[in-house]
Parts: sequence; structure tokens; C-alpha cells
Amino acid sequence: MTAATTGRPSPAPATTATTDTHCPYCSLQCGMRLEGRRTTTVQPWPDFPVNEGGLCRKGWTATGLLGHRERLTTPLVRDRATGAWSAVSWDQVLDLVAERLRAVQAAHGPDGVAVFGGGGLTNEKAYSLGKLARVALGTSQVDYNGRWCMSSAASASTRAFGIDRGLPFPLADVEHADVVVLVGSNLAETMPPAARHLDRCRENGGRVVVVDPRRTPTADRADLLVQPVPGGDLALALGVLHLLVAGGHVDEEYVATRTVGWEAVREAVAAWWPERVERVTGVAADEVRALADLLAAGERVVVLTARGAEQHAQGSDTVLAWIDVALALGMPGRPYAGYGCLTGQGNGQGGREHGQKADQLPGYRLIDDPAARAHVAAVWGVEPDSLPGRGRSAYELLEALGTEAGPRALLVHGSNIVVSAPHATRVQERLESLDLLVVCDLVMSETAALADVVLPVTQWAEETGTMTNLEGRVVLRQAHRPPPDGVRSDLEVIAALASRLGSPVPFSADPEEVFAELGRASAGGKADYAGITYDRIRTEHGVFWPCPSSEHPGTPRLFADSFPTPDGRARFHVVEHRGPAEAPCGEYPLHLTTGRVLAQYQSGAQTRRVRDLPDDGAFVELHPLLAARIGVADGMAVRVTTRRGSLRVPARVVTTIRPDTVFVPFHWLGVNRLVNDALDPASRMPEFKVCAARVEAG
Amino acid sequence: MSGPAGARERLVVVGNGMAATRLVEGLVAGGYAGEVTVLGDEPVPAYNRILLSAVLEGTHAADALTLRSPQWYAEHGITLRTGSRVLAVDRDHGDVMLVDGTLVPFDRLVLATGAIPTLPPIRGLVRADGSLHPRVHAFRSLADCDGLLEAVPAARRAVVVGGGLLGLQVARALSVRAGLDVEVVEGGEHLLHRQVPAAAGAVLRRSLAALGTSVYTGARAVRLHHHGPAVGVRLDTGPVLDTDLVVLTAGGRPSTALARAAGLEVRRGVVVDDLLTSPTDPRVHAIGDCAEHRGVTTGFVPPAWEQAQLLAARLCGADVAHEGSRSVARLRATDLDVAVLGDPVHEPGEVVEVANPLAGRHARLVVRDGVVVAASLVGDLSRVGLITQHYDRGTVLGPTEPGDLLLPDPVAAPPVLPDDAEVCACAGVTAGAVRACASLAEARETTRATTGCGGCASVCASLVGRAGERQRAVVP
Repeated sequence: MTAATTGRPSPAPATTATTDTHCPYCSLQCGMRLEGRRTTTVQPWPDFPVNEGGLCRKGWTATGLLGHRERLTTPLVRDRATGAWSAVSWDQVLDLVAERLRAVQAAHGPDGVAVFGGGGLTNEKAYSLGKLARVALGTSQVDYNGRWCMSSAASASTRAFGIDRGLPFPLADVEHADVVVLVGSNLAETMPPAARHLDRCRENGGRVVVVDPRRTPTADRADLLVQPVPGGDLALALGVLHLLVAGGHVDEEYVATRTVGWEAVREAVAAWWPERVERVTGVAADEVRALADLLAAGERVVVLTARGAEQHAQGSDTVLAWIDVALALGMPGRPYAGYGCLTGQGNGQGGREHGQKADQLPGYRLIDDPAARAHVAAVWGVEPDSLPGRGRSAYELLEALGTEAGPRALLVHGSNIVVSAPHATRVQERLESLDLLVVCDLVMSETAALADVVLPVTQWAEETGTMTNLEGRVVLRQAHRPPPDGVRSDLEVIAALASRLGSPVPFSADPEEVFAELGRASAGGKADYAGITYDRIRTEHGVFWPCPSSEHPGTPRLFADSFPTPDGRARFHVVEHRGPAEAPCGEYPLHLTTGRVLAQYQSGAQTRRVRDLPDDGAFVELHPLLAARIGVADGMAVRVTTRRGSLRVPARVVTTIRPDTVFVPFHWLGVNRLVNDALDPASRMPEFKVCAARVEAG
Repeated sequence: MSGPAGARERLVVVGNGMAATRLVEGLVAGGYAGEVTVLGDEPVPAYNRILLSAVLEGTHAADALTLRSPQWYAEHGITLRTGSRVLAVDRDHGDVMLVDGTLVPFDRLVLATGAIPTLPPIRGLVRADGSLHPRVHAFRSLADCDGLLEAVPAARRAVVVGGGLLGLQVARALSVRAGLDVEVVEGGEHLLHRQVPAAAGAVLRRSLAALGTSVYTGARAVRLHHHGPAVGVRLDTGPVLDTDLVVLTAGGRPSTALARAAGLEVRRGVVVDDLLTSPTDPRVHAIGDCAEHRGVTTGFVPPAWEQAQLLAARLCGADVAHEGSRSVARLRATDLDVAVLGDPVHEPGEVVEVANPLAGRHARLVVRDGVVVAASLVGDLSRVGLITQHYDRGTVLGPTEPGDLLLPDPVAAPPVLPDDAEVCACAGVTAGAVRACASLAEARETTRATTGCGGCASVCASLVGRAGERQRAVVP
């Protein structure tokens, strides 16, 4: 037997009881130092430049899930008749799963089995999962929850710049910007240590602008807050462009030499004067002018978007509009300036580069590009023609589950779908209609609880692997202590399944070996990792891709000389405001928007189980004007209803939100049952950030 | 769609203003199958007319107004003829004649001829040859704007005839850009008398006075006197205003001469039904300022665009009808803030008003069944974005909400931090825990306060070493 089927995850050499690693949560991937094997504590790692020793309470308490009593330590199989779980051995369960998967494929073809990944998986896992789908299962049906996170920005960046790396510069560059515009980001709560760089920008004389329907803690430390209605960000960008043209603030030389497509944009925005923007966005015309004036006066302007701007049915167009703003000002490629996207999930960046996406192969290659197929097939040792084509995007994949034409079996790694998917009631029905649902998780998440088979896997600090943070910096999360008995790594599970499924080629379960293979598969692609090794990452505080060879220093800053498009120029795009898929109406007169709170992360499967993190449950923020209208006071129960569902939560009456908008954090089951599943036509991003809702006492 | 001979339908659009441009954009987006010809009488490509006063004021470059360049029309296979005034529409022959005698045949005709400025009855305004007195400027087209801009450098004073939205914009533009002494003459009893109540007009007058612009209301200009190079404007109330420039902004009327001559039904505007079609001839449509729908003509862009988009959709095969528009009018002038939603002077309903003339503010909401059905806001637009959303969405408000909307948010008292108040959200540290520490370094080491986003550093610095004191601290 090979290491692939028997090997235990091997922790880093245990010469000392201290390990430099990274936080298990968001895309900042803060550096942290773990101390103590049996009782592990988090200590600062001051040398890592992104967070300089700072952490938020999620990071400080991250060890709370190590040795947690709810940890799964044996494979479980559920009896569908009784609902009872029984513990089985790994050999039994792997045989069972492989046999059932083969049976489904025999009856329904290769696409009868689907694979669903996550943006929290390491690069090695994401890569292996894509390879499992394409090589061992031969299915085109693979996608991941990053589709609900990064896809709009990814689509827009690729179209505008020819490449999609969240930030094309190190985060600390914002300290030297004159103006930083955050569109739909609450980073002071969602990635607190990042806020230090913003504060330093202000200390250096720079200005910070926040665009958000809520006056968030991030907005409290900004110089200007612009509060549009949810779904108004695109029109706001068009209004800014209009004023930049009107005032002669367009960098004509840059536009002429480094871009194409400007004239059409210039004409289109002639129709977006500030008072029209005011009517569409609910932002007073003078505030639009104030924003444009600030941008016009900046020598170095950084525009950053996040989920608030992106999770819309017009999300990719919204990003394109803000990229247009950055390009019109001549910023991308200039030092301490440009456009960037603040990635959300821990490996939201790497997770979208190495082949767990329905349309992609490793290295950010497109699966329908014959050259890309040939290259990756050669690395894998298979025929290019054996690789399946493009599959369904995440939500479309889930919607198709158990239907006539859809997959009948699903493997889930690193995703708690029933909490995080939009229109979650329908998604749950689809999952329940499957012939086989297999979930790999640390704990009995809400999705695992629906499964036929649950496989207990390792977590952060028990396994080694790379993550690519929001800057495109590849960092190394190192194992610090052994996993509990009975638990295997995702890589082991994937390798063991591949072997039982009769994969024509072997799968390694050793992360460093997988990373080296990933490097070869990505070589020559846009996200080229070929020159990156674990040792380099350890000594260089991470390596920025593209890094095509061991001599190459990595690429902290992109676009200085040209853009990776066929002609080397960035592209302007004409986009039009369409507005949210659901406009408020008599029955549902309010906008509902969603987001995160500081002490919780994503579906909460991890953070809700950490004792030292407060878990007060979901709530709804509403303005005193609205509270008075419906007769509720702070703390009273309120029912929030949309066309898809209803949720009873306590009211938080706050003056920080627009009175025509309510906010519910999404970390708890039930919230995403309210949310609309309208999709962006380009990115297939669901419209998490706005739908029509009603609130009433109750 | 196809024409009578099975060929492609020939669609002729008379006019190249904002409604016509929107229509053509809608036809392109909707994949209209016919041949489109646009006839504009101005020599320049379509531009954003409502920003002319911004060009006058200097906040907008003139070329920033261009909506669609000639290349755009060419790229989309549309025939654009600028500088092509239409002389007549012949419905029997199905063609229009241009001023140079060219005949342009149509299967379908859209009149988007807009409005023409009303010339007030002022003796001496028009010379024997029909042209305006050289000191007098209309303000409707880019050419008018250019002409006025040429005249401004040699002028010191200006009289603006008309105290409506356009008049106030022009008055402010001439003051702000050129520092002219500007006087406004308004025949109605107060400024913006069609849009806002008298008290709001009085507030505006006061605000303008503070900005150095005098206002004569209830006064009509009746005669233009010649004083050498300057002129004098005599008002029917007696005074003569000596000035270097006169700008006419006394409104416009629908341009209906072509339609009338072609035998189409015309009242104030070219009459159209809910499908924007003339009841006289199903091949003829009218949109924008020249059209009269359900007895209403408007002079605003939003309804003109709604009509244009709707007609484009219909011509592309969609089954939609026009139900009228909600209008929001905004004054675009430096230091003068006005928003008018619907018709707050005449719309029936309960009136909720807050006025503070000393601070230059007046706000009126007209509320019916809990819905804001009209509003005027003068001097304070801090809530305009929200009120407009409520108006457009027909949001049903609570009984005290309209009044509350017009009042500022209550000022919060400076927060007192009890020991159990969380001061560091990143690490979840209370004020008491920080007070118990002797120094900031100790707080950082033992509680992790300030180690996340760092935003609480100043509060924590003010708390350390103060155990037992439940002091006041102002959160930054």
C-alpha cells in the first residue's frame, strides 16, 4: 500500500513546541504562533507583515476547536429509514462510498456524481478535489462555494485586466495612498487587523471613503461615508465617472496609452448626472460630488470592492464600473494605487485558481482551452480528451441535484451548504433528493446532518497546506499537533477514494508532494506557482504569484508596465444599472441585506462552537424610524419575511442603517432561506446582498 | 417588423434630444429590426440638455454633455442627420420634408421635437427681422449657451427673466462663474411658484439675497429700453433694471407646429394614448416634452425617458403600456438646494411642514394614506435620498414618520462606559478589564485589547489604571 491510503498526516518536525502558521479563518490569513502541543495557545507572530502580530478574537480563540467535544472522530453512516447514525471503519466506509459512486455513475453516467468544494480548503485540497472530479470520477460537475464569494470580482477583473488576483499589490500599500475607497467592505469587523493599514493611511494624510448602506465600524473610521440603497453601487460609480469627465479629471494620457474602450464609457456616463444618481441610489447629489472631488484630487487612489458590491445579480457589472473609475483616474499599475478586491474566505483566492471551479483547470486555466487541457493532462498523465468539459456553476449545480438531468450523488468538502446557499430551503430539498450525500467535516454541521455518510477530517493546526491570501501571497499553514485518532486529512480521503474508484493515475496524500504537482500543473498558467516551495514560503514570509521559477522573486505588484491581455492594455466596459432583481413593493417594502459580525465566521460551523466567542444568534438591524413605524423597540422579537421564507429574530434598533433597509447577519441557519437566488449573468453569483422584505412585530 | 412591401420598416425620428436618444438606445438594445433615421435640427450630436446650466457655471466641460457621437450611430446602422430641420410631415405620402427640400420616407414616425422657449411679451425684445435683441439670450440649446458664454466676459450685470428652476440655475451660474450682479424677475407671486409653496419661495428669495442676487416677484418685464451699450428692463411694478444681459428662462411650450400642420390631434402637446400613439394616425408616436399623455405635458427628463424606453420596447415587440410618471425635479445650482417631488402645491393630501426661514430651510411633505405623494425640500437635502426612495416606492409610513423624517436625528449623549461595556470588539474586552490594567502594555498582553484593528487604542489609553472609576470616556 502507498502512503496515499495508509499515511497519517505528518506534523512539522516537532523539534520545538512552537509553530509559525496562519489563522484558520478569513482571507487576511494573519500570521500567528502556536505554542504547546497538548494545550495549544495562540501567540503573536510580529514579523508577518500583513497583521504584524495583531489578531481579532476569532484568531486569538482559534484553538478552541482543537480537542472540542463535538469533534467527529469516526466515519458515520446514516440509516435512511430510521435516521440513526452508525460508526463504521474507514475501510468499510471508503469501500461503501466508492461502490455507491460507481453504481450511480453506472446508472446515470459520469455526471451523475458531483463534487462541491470550498474557499476555505488549502490549495492542495482544492487542486486534488478538481483532479478527483476530472480524473477519478470523470465528472464535469464540480464547483465550490467561492462562487458565492469571489466570482463577480473574479469575472470583472479577468475581463478588465486579463487576470484575477484579488489585490494586485500588498495590502500595506494602502498606507501610502491619498484616497482609499471601500465599496461594500466592513473590514474593521470582518478582518480587523486590516484596519491598521487604513488607519496608517489616514495618519499619513490619506483619506478613506466607505460606501455602505450601514454606518459600520469601518465607516466610523472613514473620512466620508456614502450610504446608497443596496444595489446602488453601480449607479454611484457611473455618477462618479460622469463627474470625473465633467470636471476634466480623466487621465487622458493613461487612458490613451494603457487602455481601450474609454470613448464608449465616456458617452454612456453623460447620462448619469448627480441628481439622477441621487434618485436611483438614495445618495444626495452633493455627496456624489464630494466623493468625485475627493477622487479627482488624489494622486494615488485605491478602489477596493468586497461582497457588499459584488453579491448582486449585477455584481460583476458593479465591479466593472468601479474598475472603470480606477482606470479613468489612471490608477491601476501606478505605485500605491489601483483597483483591488478584498477576498472573503481563507483561501478564496487560491481556491479559485487550481481547478475546483466548473470552468477551470489548475493555474487559472480555462477548461475549454485545448492548450490548457493538453498541459494539465500531461502533468496528470492522462489523455486530454479524457478530461470532461465545463460543468454547472455552484447554485445551478445545487438546483439540479436529484433532478432528471442532474447529479444523483454529491461529495462535499469544506462547505456548509444549507446555511450558506441562497434560497436555502430549496437547496435543502435538493440535497434531500439525492441518492447519496457524502460530507467531509470536522463537526456535525447542518449539512453533514443531512448526509448519508460523514467523514471526519483534520482541521487547521493538524494538517499542513498552503493558502493564498487576499494579496495573492501564498502562505504555509503548518501542522502543529497530531489529529485525534480516527480522523484523516481531506487529501487522504481523496487519494483513497481515487484509488478505490480505479483512477488511472495515483493521488498523493502528502501535501508537499501535492503542492509540487500543483506547481507543475500551474506552470505557464496565469496563476503560476511553479517556482514556489514550502521552504521559500517559510523564509520569505510568503511568495506572491505568478512565480514561474525558483529564481523568480514572485510578483508583489502587477500591471506596472502592462496588463496580461492580448494587447497589454486594460479594458473599459460600458455597464448599465439594472437594479436589484426584486424591487421593494407594497407587500415587501424594504431592502434586506446580509453580512457578517466580528465574532463569527461564515456558516459558523467552527466559530459557533468556540466557547470564548459570543454567539447571540441572528438579529435584525433596523432604524428607529422603521422601528416606530412597526411598533417595536430594541430587543423585541421581529418577523422578517421575504418571498422565500420567514425568520423570527430580535430587533436591534440602530441609527447606523438606512431607514429603508434592514440587515441580518448570515451565520445562522434560516437567514439564507430569505435570500434571493437571482444570479449574475456573467459570474453566476447569487444576489445575497439585496432582496425585498417585510418586517413586523412578532 | 416589416413595412408595407415586406421590406424593413422605415422608422423616422424627428428630434435628436434626450428623449430621441433614449429611444434609439432602446431600439438598439432591443434589437429593433427596422431602418432608423434620426433627424436633428441642431448641428451637434445629441447632448445632455439639462446640464447646460452646469456648462454655464463651469462645473461641466461642454464635451462632457455628448450623449452619443456620430460614430455610435454609424456603428449601429442608424442614419443620423444633424442640422436637418424638418419643414413638414406629409402623412398621405408617408414622408417628411427637410428644410433643404429632401424627402425622407417613413413607415412609422416618432415626434420627439421637445419644447421651444416661451418668449415673454416684452416690447423691444424682438427686432424687426424677428431675431432677438443682441443683449437678450434664450437658454435652451448648446448654441444658446455658447452665445451667452461669449457675452459674459463683457458684462457686469444680468437680468434673468423667469424664476423657475432653470432661471435660478442660470442666475446662480452667472453669479458663481462670472461674478455678475444678477437680478431675477418672476411674474408669479414667489420663486418656483409652480413647484413649491409660497413660504418655501420666500425662503429661497432670502437665500438668494444672502448670495447677492435680488429677486423681483409679482413683477413682469414689459419693455426693453436702450441705454447706449446697455439695456434697461422695465417692470410693470415700476422700476427699470439697467443691465448688460437679459436671459430668458420663462419656460417652454411643447413644439407642436409640425404635428398641427400634419393634421394630428394637438392640444397643449401632441396627443398620445397609453401606447404613445397618436389617436389620429397609428403610424405616428410622440414622446418627451412635445407629447401630451392623459392631459399632461411635462418638461422633465425622467418621464421623457420612461416614454422613450416604453416606446422602444413596444417597437421591439414587447407588450407594455404607459401609466404616467412620477417626477422628481432637482435644482442644480451651487449653494441653493431644492428638490421637488411631484406637485406639492396642488396634490391633495395632508400637509406636513417644517420651516426654519432663518436657517434658509423649508420642507413640505404631502401625505395620503401614509404615502408621500409630493414633497418640496428647500435648503436642507440631508434626507432627500431617503424621501425620494419612499416617494418612488410608495412606502406606507407610520403616523409620526413623515414629521420625524423632517427632523434631524436626535443628538446622542456622550457615552458613559460602565465596566461591562465592551471597548475592544476585536478581542472582546470590557472597559472594566482594561481599567484593571496598570498600563496599555499590560492591557495588550493580558487582555489582547488593541491587538486587532487597533481602533480602540485611544479609549483604552484613557481607561488603564483607573480601576473603580466609572468615568466618562468619549468613544472616538
